[in-house]
Amino acid sequence: MSKLSPEQLALDVRDLPSLPAVVMELLSNIEQENIDISVLAKKVSYDQALTAKTLRLANSSSLGLQVKVATIQQAITFLGFQTTRNLITAAAVTGCFPNGRCPGFNDKAFWRHSIATAACSRSLARRLRFNQDVAFTAGLLHDIGRLVLVSGHPQAYGEVLAWRAAHDAEWLDAERAMLGVDHVEAGVALAEHWNFSDTMRQAIAWHHAPETAGAGFLAAIVHVANAVVHALDLAGEEDELAPALSSVAWSAMGLNEEAYLDLFRETEQQLEEMSAILMA
Amino acid sequence: MSGAYQMTPLAEAHPGMVLGEVLRDEKGNMLLAQGVVLSEGMLASLARHGVDMLPILAAGRPASAIDPARVQGRLDRVFRKHEGGNDDDWAIGILRQYVEDFRLGREVQR
Repeated sequence: MSKLSPEQLALDVRDLPSLPAVVMELLSNIEQENIDISVLAKKVSYDQALTAKTLRLANSSSLGLQVKVATIQQAITFLGFQTTRNLITAAAVTGCFPNGRCPGFNDKAFWRHSIATAACSRSLARRLRFNQDVAFTAGLLHDIGRLVLVSGHPQAYGEVLAWRAAHDAEWLDAERAMLGVDHVEAGVALAEHWNFSDTMRQAIAWHHAPETAGAGFLAAIVHVANAVVHALDLAGEEDELAPALSSVAWSAMGLNEEAYLDLFRETEQQLEEMSAILMA
Repeated sequence: MSGAYQMTPLAEAHPGMVLGEVLRDEKGNMLLAQGVVLSEGMLASLARHGVDMLPILAAGRPASAIDPARVQGRLDRVFRKHEGGNDDDWAIGILRQYVEDFRLGREVQR
């Protein structure tokens, strides 16, 4: 088959369904604190499906709220702006891509892996005093390029699946062999199109190569979280494969076994709860 | 989460168990949120707060029917690209060890 070019990827991302404008705004300003919260709450509440999903997340037990929140404004009051922004983004992105376009591509496993990596990245960030919201979103979106490829080229991606199965290879190698591009490049193209922050783009670009100069600490967090989630075998794929794990990134976490065992428990628990809501 | 929990004496609670309900002190102040995974440090702190019973989530109790051979078999499958471990691959070896300890419910030696 003919290989895809970077130009084709740029066209692919333009054909994707767009996120609600308010979510695009949230993603591009994720590191900013000074957003007008009341305007944001109002904009989100115009989207009923998004609001409903966000509120279900806000009321899930892992967030430990004493009261049930019924509006976005209440969620912001009780959970804080950063956490609410996180939930809105998760609710929007998981509903954006159509499922079932590529026979053999396991959408459910994809989202279970992404949600678990988001939860794991956030838990790692908390231990490392890093911005938890940015880590959560980067974890959720780290493999989003796979959905760009699947949505734009469902048939060709079917060949990627077949090649991977035949060679028992990692996704990156299968994609490069069959498409000439990989999900990292596709993810970066989408990050540019959706105007993600630079930190988020870096994390998507380098989550498989966190030792690259200038990759940034967030890429290391997502790299380790990705490996942990594969190792915990949470996606529900029979041919689950633990990826290469950078010893530099692992060492940079500086955590002991007790911390990792707590991290594993938190990741599993949050995955079950969040996936029940996000994949409903 | 089902929310089904059982009041369990603090002395019988272990790290890794999950709170099935919010835990409050005598004055009604929240000590720990529902869904929190208990750690050794938390259990020690709760003892200092005079807590003697905990609402432990049924599903948070350690599984009693772990089949070590099955766990090892599945780990061998997931880590099949990292067999025999070379020097560049030490981090994945440690990760596997931690996951194995986690799945087999081994206590961490400190």
